[in-house]
This record gives sequence, C-alpha cells and structure tokens, in this order.
Amino acid sequence: MSQPRSGAVVALALFALVGTVFAAVSTADFIAFLDRQVHSVTCSFVPGLGAPDTTGTSGCHAVLMSPYSAVFRASTWGGIPISLAALSVFAYLLFRAADLLARRAAADPDETRFLVAATLLPVLVSVAYFAIALLRVGSLCKLCVGIYVASAGVFVSALAAHRGAASGAPARPFPWSRYAVAFLEGVVFVAVPVVLYLALKPGYTGAMANCGTLIHPEDRYGVRVPLGGAPGGVPAIEVLDPLCPACKAFAQRLAASGLGERLDTQAVLFPLDKECNWMVGESLHPGSCAVSEAVLCAGPAAPDVLQWAFTNQDELRAIGKDTKQVYDRIRQAFPDIGGCLGRPGVRARLNRSLRWVVANALPVQTPQLFVRGQKVCEEDTDLGLDFVLSRLIDRPQGGGRTGR
Amino acid sequence: MQHGKLHLALFLAVLVVLSGTVAWWVRAAASRLAELQAGAAGPATAVASAADEGYCTGPLKQILRRVLTSCGLIKGGAQRGCQPVQARNVAAMSGDDFNALFLPLANRAAIIQFDQDSAELGSRAIALLDKTFADQRGASYFLVVSRASTEGPLAYNRELSRKRAEAVLDHIRSKFNDPDLDQEVGLLWLGAEYAQLDKEFCGWQRSRPEEACTSAFLNRSAFIAWIDCRL
Repeated sequence: MSQPRSGAVVALALFALVGTVFAAVSTADFIAFLDRQVHSVTCSFVPGLGAPDTTGTSGCHAVLMSPYSAVFRASTWGGIPISLAALSVFAYLLFRAADLLARRAAADPDETRFLVAATLLPVLVSVAYFAIALLRVGSLCKLCVGIYVASAGVFVSALAAHRGAASGAPARPFPWSRYAVAFLEGVVFVAVPVVLYLALKPGYTGAMANCGTLIHPEDRYGVRVPLGGAPGGVPAIEVLDPLCPACKAFAQRLAASGLGERLDTQAVLFPLDKECNWMVGESLHPGSCAVSEAVLCAGPAAPDVLQWAFTNQDELRAIGKDTKQVYDRIRQAFPDIGGCLGRPGVRARLNRSLRWVVANALPVQTPQLFVRGQKVCEEDTDLGLDFVLSRLIDRPQGGGRTGR
Repeated sequence: MQHGKLHLALFLAVLVVLSGTVAWWVRAAASRLAELQAGAAGPATAVASAADEGYCTGPLKQILRRVLTSCGLIKGGAQRGCQPVQARNVAAMSGDDFNALFLPLANRAAIIQFDQDSAELGSRAIALLDKTFADQRGASYFLVVSRASTEGPLAYNRELSRKRAEAVLDHIRSKFNDPDLDQEVGLLWLGAEYAQLDKEFCGWQRSRPEEACTSAFLNRSAFIAWIDCRL
C-alpha cells in the first residue's frame, strides 16, 4: 500500500467524519422537535461553537421546518428526517474507510470502485437539496452546507483513491457478490436507525389532537375571505395576520404539502396590530390593520393581495407605523382598491373580523387553522402538519386518528 | 479470516454507536413529551375578548348595567330605548352626575348636531356618525343619548329627541348591516328636561364645530359613544 493511496482514503474518512458530525447535529435538532415543543436550532459552520438560533429566523430553521426536511410526513408525525439517512450514509462511509485502512486494503481497486459508487449517493442528494434550498425554500442552512462540502469531499477522495488503486492494476471481473454484501451493509446502516427512530418516537394520541373547536363558526358578520382551494373541498378556516411571518411560513408549508388543494379555505383576518386590535398592547406586526383592510377591499382578488402582502412582509412591517404610507404602498400595487382603504365600512368589517375571533374565544395568536371546525394544534402546524391534516381531511368527524 | 472478524467488529461497532445515539435522542424527546403531558399546562396564551378599559370602574359598570338593562339593551325585549323619566329613574342621579359618567369617554364620543326643530342628519353629521361607529375597536356597547334644546313644550322636545335618537339608529342600521346591532346600541332620549349638556362638552368632537357652542346648539344633538366596558 502506497502512502498517497491510503492518504486519499484517510481524507475520505475525515470528510465522512465531518459529514457525520453535521448530519448528526441536524438530526438531533430535528428529533428534539418530536416533543412538540419549541427549540433553538444549531446553525453554524462549526457546530457547537456558533450561537443557536432561538428566534426561528435562520436558514437552518427555515430548512428544518420546510416540507423537504423529511419524508413520509403524512404517514408518521414529522416524517423521517432526511438528515437521519445522511447520518447513516456518512457513518457507513466512515466505517468503510476505517475498514479499508484497518485491513490495509486501500489499494484494492475493487474496494475503491465501490467507494466511488457509494459516495456518489450523497453527492447526488446534495446537488438536489442544494437546488431545493435555493429554488424552493429560499434559504441555505449552514449545517446543510457542511453536508454538501463533506459529500463533495468524500466523492473526490474516493475518486482519487480509485485512480491511484486502478492505475497499473490488471483488469479483473467485478466482484459482484462482494459488492452485494457491501450494499446490504449500507442498507442495514440506513434501515436500523430508521426502524429504531420509528419504533421509539412518541405516539400521536387522540388527546394531542384535541385543541378545541369553534364555538360560533357561523359567519354572521360576512367577514370570512375565500382563499380558493377545491370547490366542494373540506371546509377550513384560517385565522391569520397578513404581516405575520409565521402565517407566511405556514402558507408555504401548506402549499408544499399539497393538502391545501383539498381544503376549501376561508380566512378570518386577525391583525396583531394595535392600530385596530385592542387585544394587543404593542403592535407585533405594524401595518397589518391597513393590509387587512386591503384584503377585505379586494373581494375576489383577496388571495392575490394576501400573497402580495406575504411577499412584501418585511417592507410593509418596516413602514407599518405610518398607516398612510402603507395605504400608499397598497394603492401603488392595487390601484383598484385604493378608494376603499380607510373607509368606515371596511374598518367596521375588519372590526367584526376581530369580533368573530372574540366570539369564538380564540387565543390571541396567528396562524390558527380549523378543519371542519376542529383546531389543528399549534404544535402540529410545522413538522406534524402533513400527518395531522391528512387525518383531519380524511376523517369527517372527531379528532385525527392516532399513530406515530 | 482475521480481516473478516475485524470487518464485522467495525461494522457492528459503528452501527451500534449510530443506532444507540439515534435511540437516545428519540427517547429523550419522548420522555420530555411525557413529562409535558403529565405536568401542568404551559404558559397560557391570552384569549381574545372585548375591551375593558381602565375607566370601567365598578360603580360605572353598575350604572351602565342598570341603564342598559332598563333601556332594553342587555336583556332584549320589546322596549327599545329609554325616555327621560325612565333614564332619570334608572340612573338614580342628577343630570350633572349622569353627564359626568361620560367624561372618561372624551376620545371615544362625538356629538351629532341637528338643525332646530329637526331630526334629519346632515352630511357632516352622517360622516361623523359613520366614522365614530366604525371605530368600535373592542367596545361592546354603543350609546346614543339624544337631547333637544329648551325652546318649545316639554312633550314636543321629548318626541323630537326620540326622533333624533332613532334617526341615528336607522342610519347605522342601514349603513353598517351589523347583525349585533340590537345587542349593541342603546338609545336614551332625554328631551330638554334632564342632563342637558353644558359648556364642559364644547371641546368634544362635534359635527358642527364652527357653530357657537351655546347650550341650545349643543343640546340639539345626539351624543354618541362606544363604551369599552364588559358588563
């Protein structure tokens, strides 16, 4: 065994170790949320050194809460985290590299060829997830970047190891049976942690699904705003604030889940802005009263105004303390509804929207989703959304089914 | 053979560490959840409710409850509004004390003014009425207290003030289409015999601010205000 050949395998082991650490931290963060509480999220290129994200504003939080962070979300609460599979794959690569070094087989081209094939998997998945992060989530997470780099590192190291091992080696038939065993070992590395994860994760009980119902779902005030969705779909009511970041993120998760299309959703506007909402001492989302008026004024175009508000939340909140400035910005984007803003009629309607919330004795928070009158628990509006919502949609009466 | 054992040992070692770590994380989350479910509920989130401002003292609420109940607002019923004698009886207080009840409402009230001998709402009266009624915020009750100036006979002024109160209610009903209107709006017509507004109210928002603030002009009016009290 020559030094350069084993050097490439050592490099591969180091990159696999780096990938294992990043994937482990990401998986630990994800699993922490299985207790249905709020947690800080690690978001650093050096896990353990950077300050954790306690506000939910980092790219790591956005990615973790995105529908792409886990698979089989509709089948098990939270789904199976992709990072768990990444952890298994990097641990497996670490094992293979350590095994080659321990057996002094780093110069065996049959072994290094398998390494190249095995390291191709994290590279391909990293490319796909990098694209998703940029194009769909709109945020990059530092832990993910660490995993991308580690993926590239193991692949390049495997290529280098194989190039060195294959040079001058006589051509021989592929040892398919050895490859099959090695592949099976890889499958075991992924399967065992996943099975353990599924077996040990907390169950979803009927009590967890019971977060109340609407006392007065009727729309006596005519304040509910249709948001589109399937005609004849499952009736749903979303209590929202157009300038609330959590509402925007929730809308994105709902859209990405594909379940929103099965709902016939109506919005009840509940701006957390003291300009019109007496229930908040301070404006959590300044400007949202004015934007809510715009949504009410827009009639059938309300979903467009809402989408525009979500897109421009930061800007609108920044100017939100000056209602006139917010009105001007709305008029600029939607000239047709300019004349309606600030009028007594729309203000009274917005007030009734708030009173609908009072009549139903709802918590002063947004978003809140009610499907067939039953509330989707706040704890189920992120990682557990697909699981809980699919059960509520498929089950007309009572709470969602239990499960894991 | 030796290599095979080494391979197997490494395989098992890494797999056990990996699986054990994952199992530990998941069990920790499950255990935290179990503790949470067994323990007391977390910090309660505020529940949406109607406003109950600081000026809603016990005595004020007591008076309001009596007035609103007797005037058919809280319990409903056929009666709609209070006449001067009733108002005086249920309030059980002097006219000045009655008016003093509304002093904390300076920022929530408006005085809708009428022409002499008229119960017709002018355009500026309508604008102020619309603006004031639309600014309900968290208030539960809207009071309309109409009056007449002292010119003319007692009975005529009672009737005129009743018409003024009802003109306000009719406009609100047609303009705002509020299904809760009958549970929200309380009418009191006081004629010219009880609780006449004095100059203390000249600084309040009026539909005719340019008019001289004489007692006559001030009392040809309907005083309107949202009451931010939960009764």
